[in-house]
Amino acid sequence: MKRIVGVVSLVLLAPILQGALAPYLPTAFRPDLTLLVVLGIALYWRNTGTGLVFATLCGFVVDLLSGGLLGQHALLSVLVFAGSRALSVQVNLVGAFPRMLFVVALTAVHAFVVAGLTAFFTPDAGFGVPPLHTLGPLLFANAVVSPAVIAAVAVCVAWIGGDETPRRLLRLQTRSWVS
Amino acid sequence: MTEIRSRVLLAGLTAVLIGIALINMVVDRRALQEGGRELSWWSGLVLDVAVPLQKAIAMPLTMARDGWGEYVALVGVRRENGDLRDELAVARDENLQLREALVASGRLERIAAMREGFDIPMLPAELVGLDASSWFRSVLLDRGRHHGVHAGMPLVCEDGLVGLVTATSRKAARGMLLLDRQSAVGAMVQRSRTRGIVRGTGDGLVFEFEGRETDVAPGDLLITSGLGGVFPKGLRIGAITTVQEGGTPLMREARVEPAVDFGRLEQVFVMLRRGATMDLLYATEGGDLNEEDLAPGDDS
Repeated sequence: MKRIVGVVSLVLLAPILQGALAPYLPTAFRPDLTLLVVLGIALYWRNTGTGLVFATLCGFVVDLLSGGLLGQHALLSVLVFAGSRALSVQVNLVGAFPRMLFVVALTAVHAFVVAGLTAFFTPDAGFGVPPLHTLGPLLFANAVVSPAVIAAVAVCVAWIGGDETPRRLLRLQTRSWVS
Repeated sequence: MTEIRSRVLLAGLTAVLIGIALINMVVDRRALQEGGRELSWWSGLVLDVAVPLQKAIAMPLTMARDGWGEYVALVGVRRENGDLRDELAVARDENLQLREALVASGRLERIAAMREGFDIPMLPAELVGLDASSWFRSVLLDRGRHHGVHAGMPLVCEDGLVGLVTATSRKAARGMLLLDRQSAVGAMVQRSRTRGIVRGTGDGLVFEFEGRETDVAPGDLLITSGLGGVFPKGLRIGAITTVQEGGTPLMREARVEPAVDFGRLEQVFVMLRRGATMDLLYATEGGDLNEEDLAPGDDS
């Protein structure tokens, strides 16, 4: 029961919280909480398969609460999870500063992929390369809140896992990213 | 061997999830082209759960903001009130002159005759949350199919056109704002009657039109043209701020200042009509007005 409640909370809360807080934050400085939660799951969830499914569900919830096409954020969540999981054993993602840098890169790539997918499925919208005055503040906002959000996800994952310890990131790991 | 098996299984799972997402996108795109969608029970459940949760999360923030706005930030209100009264007097005078001009041209009578049967019921809805993604501009509303709201219905407020309902669940709805990149509305310049399309750019509006440069000038008011049948004619969209220099007579662009302040939007009205023709919106004998669509409890 604890696991179910924990997972549902983790998957539902970030998109709902983001939608609820958005009216009170300046448009440009609204951090993408769901992206950070998916990154947190990729870094800390022990089992890759279930982590991938939860990340996808998180994306589907965003799709339902967002104006994009249903499936767009789910697809992005799969890619973010897989990419972050793979990269987490190749690059140093321990500590706040490396994570903030990674989040900046991830947010930028995420923005361009969203624009590309929107342009592909909605040709009338055109390929809207995110302008710097929109992207810059978002990169900043995501980087600033990322340590706190990822730490919260880590605590949540530990609580859900119970006796099972969450995935521990090491500076040096084997190349395998399948647990 | 176990590791290889795990890798294969994981690759398969990833492929399946990507496939499901892509299929959903294609199906959803088709549904949107057909005017929106009524969400299935399980996806509607997420919306129905999200609305009360977002209201609960936003309540203390709203109270704090209202408290500030109503008690602390009242400095200068007296002077602002005086300025607004002056502006109102000027606007009334202008309005009178324009009415006189319309009467003189005989158009007012024709418009009055056309509007005789204009009756679009409107349902107030509270905006409980904004888009969960940073890249789209939509809102979550606390009214759904149970209240008679369906995909394809226009959203308006006292300042003008807000957007369109794109998805509904039993007790909630999602609306796409005009600002969204996927939004395109048939529009025309009120002064010159130049027609075109207003598109969202994410953080603003652009009016794309065909015609001479003189047809569109900064300050011109843009209204819905009624073409396409989704929005009724005459809803305020915004005002032209700048017209792009150059361009061809076949494709010109102008930046538009929206009539609605989307940053301060709290309540909207759902126009409880959707239809492909203006006849539905401007029905004269009531024959086209199907009240069954409006009955509360209609979950179809």
